Amino acid sequence: MAGDRAELLRGTLDMLILKTLSLEPLHGLGISRRIEQITDRVFRVQPGSLFPALHRLEQEGWIRGRWGESENRRRAKFYELTAAGRRRLGEEKRNWTQVVLAITKIMEAT
Amino acid sequence: MHISTRFRSVFASLFRKAELDRDLDEELRSYLDLLTEEKIRAGMAPEAARRAARLELGGVEQVKEKVRENRLGAAIDTLLQDIRYALRILRKNASFSIVSVLILAIGIGANTALFSNIQAVLLRPIPFAEPDRLVVGQKTIDGRRSGTVSRIDYFDYRELGQSFEELAALANFTQEFTVMGGGRPELVEASYVTWNLFPALRVRPVSGRNFLPEEEAQDGLQIVLVSYGLWERRFGGSPDAIGNTIDIEGSPYTVVGVMPRGFRFLFDADIWFLVDRFGPFDGERDSHSHLLVGRLKPGVAIEEAQSEADAISIGLAQQYPDSNTGKGLLLTGLHSHMVRDVRLSLLLLMATTALVLLIACGNVAGLLLARGERRQSEMAMRSALGASRHRLMRQLLTESVILTVVAGLLGVVIAYMLQDVLLRLLSIEELGVGRPLIDAKALVFTLVLSILTGLLVGVIPALRGAATQPAQQLGSATRASPSLRSTRLRSGLVVLQVAVSVALLIGSGLLIRSFAQLTTVDLGFEPENLLTGRLKIPAAAYPTREERAEFFTSLLDEIEALPGVTSAGLVSRLPILSPAQDWGVWPAEEPEPTLQESFSPMVRWVSPGYFRTIGIPLQSGRDISRSDLANSPFVAVLSETTARTVFGDADPMGRLVHIGWSDREFEVVGVVADARLNSLRRGPDAAAYMSSAQLGATRLQLAVRTSGEPTLQAGAIESLLRRKDPDVLLSRPASMELALDDQLGDFRIVIVSLALFACVAMLLTAIGLYGLLTYQVSQRGNEFGIRLAMGASNAALLGMVLKMGLVLVGIGLFFGLLFAYPSTLLMRRMLFETPPLHPATYAGAIGFLGLMAALACLLPAWRVTRVDLVEVLRSE
Repeated sequence: MAGDRAELLRGTLDMLILKTLSLEPLHGLGISRRIEQITDRVFRVQPGSLFPALHRLEQEGWIRGRWGESENRRRAKFYELTAAGRRRLGEEKRNWTQVVLAITKIMEAT
Repeated sequence: MHISTRFRSVFASLFRKAELDRDLDEELRSYLDLLTEEKIRAGMAPEAARRAARLELGGVEQVKEKVRENRLGAAIDTLLQDIRYALRILRKNASFSIVSVLILAIGIGANTALFSNIQAVLLRPIPFAEPDRLVVGQKTIDGRRSGTVSRIDYFDYRELGQSFEELAALANFTQEFTVMGGGRPELVEASYVTWNLFPALRVRPVSGRNFLPEEEAQDGLQIVLVSYGLWERRFGGSPDAIGNTIDIEGSPYTVVGVMPRGFRFLFDADIWFLVDRFGPFDGERDSHSHLLVGRLKPGVAIEEAQSEADAISIGLAQQYPDSNTGKGLLLTGLHSHMVRDVRLSLLLLMATTALVLLIACGNVAGLLLARGERRQSEMAMRSALGASRHRLMRQLLTESVILTVVAGLLGVVIAYMLQDVLLRLLSIEELGVGRPLIDAKALVFTLVLSILTGLLVGVIPALRGAATQPAQQLGSATRASPSLRSTRLRSGLVVLQVAVSVALLIGSGLLIRSFAQLTTVDLGFEPENLLTGRLKIPAAAYPTREERAEFFTSLLDEIEALPGVTSAGLVSRLPILSPAQDWGVWPAEEPEPTLQESFSPMVRWVSPGYFRTIGIPLQSGRDISRSDLANSPFVAVLSETTARTVFGDADPMGRLVHIGWSDREFEVVGVVADARLNSLRRGPDAAAYMSSAQLGATRLQLAVRTSGEPTLQAGAIESLLRRKDPDVLLSRPASMELALDDQLGDFRIVIVSLALFACVAMLLTAIGLYGLLTYQVSQRGNEFGIRLAMGASNAALLGMVLKMGLVLVGIGLFFGLLFAYPSTLLMRRMLFETPPLHPATYAGAIGFLGLMAALACLLPAWRVTRVDLVEVLRSE
């Protein structure tokens, strides 16, 4: 994992995880595959960043982990969004939109 | 996030650690399984798929470590782990730990002891409600503080000022009175206060009432407030005391109230008299003897009150130019007024102990650095096993903080012992505070200090220790070569230590010299074998001046007849013990000079034989004699400086002078030498002496010259007095020499402690220097061996090591001198006849430190010459 990309991810990883989980509960590998898929493999989330982030989010009370069975009947820990997590995602989205708009304006200014 | 959630998760990560770890393990295993499965489905062989998945997952331990660090509450968890680990390490390096703890404990202990003193004297709030609003007012002449305020001026300030809730006044002295009747007579101190002093302080009598505002204007009212102690002694603590009378030197005074137990304000007193509005005492604008005490209105700053007082002063000066031109009122906080004498000493000591602690920190930091060198491979190993740099640093800091906290605990014990020693050696009670306690505040101070010390000591070694390059370290040979940077850091620490020590040595050297000067100063009188005490005859029993003179004259005769007594004399105020009281003196033929132009020497009234007894030499003319009585012309004896200032070169003998406000003229009959009357520190005082018999004094101080130990005569004099008049008591009998010794008490505290601390600092510095050189020599054993093998002489090696050490000492001395000069300027006020740049002191300090440093260098240098050549070369 390149250092630059990790830095980029660190700020936004929480948001991407929350967004991914807002669609359906997923286990760890499922989350990283979903993020890769959606971003056309621009972002690859390595376990070294994924698990600390998941545990942090769980302790913040935004997601909840539950042991369940995968599609192939394997035991796996599935994470789902809590109500607080849904609110949090809303906030992050608004902030993100503002940041993107602001940066775009700067970059397009001549 | 809710507090409850946070609490739960802290709780969980502490107590459900194992469960959470198991859960994480399982989660990672399932992740690996899912990943492997994914790869098999994509067409890889099972074995290859598992290997690829493992690779993708990366270091399982590192992932786990990161997750753990992310857990809320993990901080506490890792802290406990760090502490456990640190304790193990420290136990394994017992000698290192013990040395460090001892060094730091001395530093922390000294600081704690001093802190509890500072707290008792400077920080503890004065025991009155809202003390910040209390201020003290003193007179200024042309802007310079010059002491007490005129009572008449006070009433103007009180009536015109708007800044004060209450502006009160009290006489800046106490007077002794004999309480009589009901058995034993008793001498008590009385303080004079205005009716609103106690309301200003927010102190109420525990029984009865305060003085009333309207009582101030009633002339001749005989009422008093009494202390709790006097109430118990005289009235058995009975409530009937209120409204009852107490016999003060033959006059009945009505007790209106009893002050709370232990109440004291600026002076010890058992009786408080009311300062009345129209009384004769201090009844002129140019007679000053009161101290103003005010409580500011809420929200009024002292600066506002000051500018108001300035405006009133200007108004008074215009209205009464004769007495008030150039006169002002200076307001200061009550607390800073009360502690002004000890503040500098205590702050100086605190700064000193802080510096000693800094030096101790230098030593321990040096030790930690040296040990860090040897632990580099351990650090590298832990780093490779997944510990982050952050984590390693925290680990190292935990170790040093544990060291210092243990040192802090030991330091409290040391502080306790140190205080006992200080208290026994010196008289801190003389400062007017109780025995300083090491209380909860001091303990908190020690704890905070310990932790800060731990961080200070540990941060550089921790930064260095955590910055390891695992690959390089693990790959290289196990023996660590001395790191240049670490050595340079330790050298820097030694330079700092030398600099601080030499500055401390210079400071204490200057103070010691000042002390020596003070104890050998020529007082102008002879304090050896001199008994002092106070006498008071009841004015009512001896109404005329003749009767009083007769009593005192016959008393002196009887005392001089005692075996072992050489001579005896009486004086209104003994030198040093009773300072102050200066009046204007001017030639009788001239008009009274204005306040600014006036010359005001100390005034005293004395008995015949006083000068001979106290040892002030008569220079010309005659002593006050027994024939100078109430009905003969009034006479005065001037001191040298007074005579010269008033009359210039003209012969003063037979000339007439005015002394003070009275209209009387005094004929100059003699001239005596100047003597120190006010303080040991200031120079000899100009003085004017009158005859106590002619003034009809009832209150006098006794001086008795003895041939042996003076205090042994006190009993004989007391029984003599009992036979002569049981109502006349001798109070405070004391040896002049001991009393003067007490005067130097607080100065001695400073000196002894400072000298002690300077020596500790120097010792610690020498240890630091010794440690550094020994370490360097041991690290460079090979090099020295090779040099020897190549033919270097022992002397050359010795010189090399000595040079290494002495260069550091030289640099340290240089910085120390740069640092010492400005700091000695700060303590100039404490110096006595010693310039801040006293060359002998500087040379002595440098020489002393240089000698110690040379000794500290010599031992490791000598060790180099004992290097066993064969041993060194074989081990290579």
